[in-house]
Amino acid sequence: MMASSRLAVFMIVFSVACAVIYVISTELNLPLLTYHPAIGELDFLWTPERRGPAMYWYGWMLTSLIGALVLAWIASIVPEQWVQRGIFFGSLAAVGYLIFYTLALFVYDKATIELEFLKSRWLSLGAAVLAAVAISLLAPAAWHQRLWPGWVVVVPIGALAVLAYYLTPYFTR
Amino acid sequence: MAFWTTLLIIHGLLAVALIGAITHQAVSVWMPVRAKAGNFVTRFRAVPSTSYVMAIIVLYVVTFIMGAWIYTQYRFTSRLALEQLRFFKTVGVFEMKEHVATIGLILLPAYWAFWRQPLAEDYAGARKSVTLLLALVVWANFLVGHIANNARGFGS
Repeated sequence: MMASSRLAVFMIVFSVACAVIYVISTELNLPLLTYHPAIGELDFLWTPERRGPAMYWYGWMLTSLIGALVLAWIASIVPEQWVQRGIFFGSLAAVGYLIFYTLALFVYDKATIELEFLKSRWLSLGAAVLAAVAISLLAPAAWHQRLWPGWVVVVPIGALAVLAYYLTPYFTR
Repeated sequence: MAFWTTLLIIHGLLAVALIGAITHQAVSVWMPVRAKAGNFVTRFRAVPSTSYVMAIIVLYVVTFIMGAWIYTQYRFTSRLALEQLRFFKTVGVFEMKEHVATIGLILLPAYWAFWRQPLAEDYAGARKSVTLLLALVVWANFLVGHIANNARGFGS
C-alpha cells in the first residue's frame, strides 16, 4: 500500500486541526487578537469591549490558523499511521465524551438520590478517553495504515454541529 | 453608507458567481454525464469539473474577505439594531453564518489537494464529499446572508 503524499497529509490535517481548534477557541474564547470596530482598534489576545462591541472572530480564526499550521507540519514529518491513529483516537474520544456526558446528565436528572459526581465533566472525559483507548487498540490494523481523507468531511461537520449547539440560546429566548 | 452598500452588493454578486461555479462542479461530480449532452439539465451536468477548482477557491476567498470586512460595520450598526428589536433568531443565524463560512474556508486546502492534477483515484470519494460539503456551505451562507440582510422585511 502506497503512503499518502506529504502535501496531502499536511492539507488533510490542516483542515481537520483547524476545525477542531476553531471550535475550542470559540467556546473557550481564545482569540489571538480582539478588534474594536467602533473605534477601529486592534488588541493582542482577548480584551473586553471598549466604547462599542468587541469582535473576537478574527482572533479565533488566527488562533486556529497558527495551531493548525503547527499540527499539520508535525503530521507531515511523523509516520502516517501515527496521524491516522491520533485523529481516530481524538474523534472517538470526542464522540465518547458527548455520549457519556449526555448519559450522566440523564441519569442525574432521573435519579431519586443525589448523584452530584455525575455532573463532573472530568468523569465523562475520563470514561471517553478509556473507551477511545480500548476501541483504538481493538480496531483492525488495516484501519491505521493510511490517513483517511474522509476526516476532512467528518470532523468539520462535527465541528459545525457543536457550534450550532452552542448557538441554541439565540433560538430559545 | 453608500460605501458599505456598494461593498455588500459586490459581496452578493461574488457570492452569486461562487454559487454558480460550486453548484456546477458538485452536480457534475455527483451526477456525471456519460452520453452526449442534450437538454439544459444534461448540459448543466456535463461541465468539466476540474476547470472550476481555482475559480471556486479564488471566489470563495475574495467573497470571504469582503464578507469579513463588511462584518465590522454590521457588528456595531445592524446587529445592535437587530438586538434592540429582539430579532435574536436573525442574529443567531448570522452567528452561524460566520462559523459556516470559516469552516468552508478551512476546507479549501484539502479541497485543493483532492482536486490536484492528475486526479488521484484514492481521493475520489473524498473529492466528491468535500465538494458537496463546500457547495452546502456556500448555499447555506448565501441564503442566510439574504435573510439577515432583509431581516426587517423578511417574515415581518
